[in-house]
Amino acid sequence: MLLKEIKEILNCQNFTDTSYLEKEINYYYATDMMSDVLKSCKTGSLLITGLVNQQVIQVAEIMDLSGIIFVSGKKPTDEMIKSVDKKNLPLLTTDLPMFEACGILYSKGLKQQVSQSKVEDER
Amino acid sequence: MKDEVLYSQTFKIIGRDFANAGAVSVSIKRFLKEIQIKPEIIYRVSICCYEAEMNVVMYAMIGTLDFTITQDQIIIIVEDEGPGIEDIEKAMQEGYSTATPAMREMGFGAGLGLPNIKKNADEFNIQSEVAKGTKLTIKINYN
Repeated sequence: MLLKEIKEILNCQNFTDTSYLEKEINYYYATDMMSDVLKSCKTGSLLITGLVNQQVIQVAEIMDLSGIIFVSGKKPTDEMIKSVDKKNLPLLTTDLPMFEACGILYSKGLKQQVSQSKVEDER
Repeated sequence: MKDEVLYSQTFKIIGRDFANAGAVSVSIKRFLKEIQIKPEIIYRVSICCYEAEMNVVMYAMIGTLDFTITQDQIIIIVEDEGPGIEDIEKAMQEGYSTATPAMREMGFGAGLGLPNIKKNADEFNIQSEVAKGTKLTIKINYN
């Protein structure tokens, strides 16, 4: 699914370049623990998190994440927005809490960490 | 020569400097991308560097990260001056952590760091002395 479609579904506010919203998102991961992201998140995943600090941006860069959606209306700081400048890392905020945001995406058929090959098998 | 050093750089890591935490790992990652190392290797090296760097920032006073590329391996040696690890066997267990609430608030301290480094490394060694410091040696084959 394209990030701009996810933005519409979750009614997100976008804080970075609108051209980033054209990204195709294949994997999703939701957590507040950066340790979990480092341990088991797939490269290219869209991260859904309630954690707002500079470490989320660093982890996103280390793990090559596709983007970050902050839940419960939490907004990235100006410093965070500045630090992703030209990095093609979209930052968005939804007012929905984590459980609801994930539930809505899940109900649309999007699953966490499904490898590409498995997705193709299921078709 | 198999062990011939092709590239080497030493980075300084300052304990509790959360504003710059992760910067060393990000710059190593960019460098590996530039020299076109395989993505899977970059991924593993980046995770090892970042986990080790965060450990120094969170627990130690000061540390260094030595980054070396030889013909076959990427070698990361992270040495710090800090509290050391009392029980290495425990520290290597997933879920064991001595993190403070402040560290957990930042999204760390789940007790996954050292096991995650071991998982991503081809060779891993840890030496530690209480009240002195810790030394990690991480080797990743890239061919």
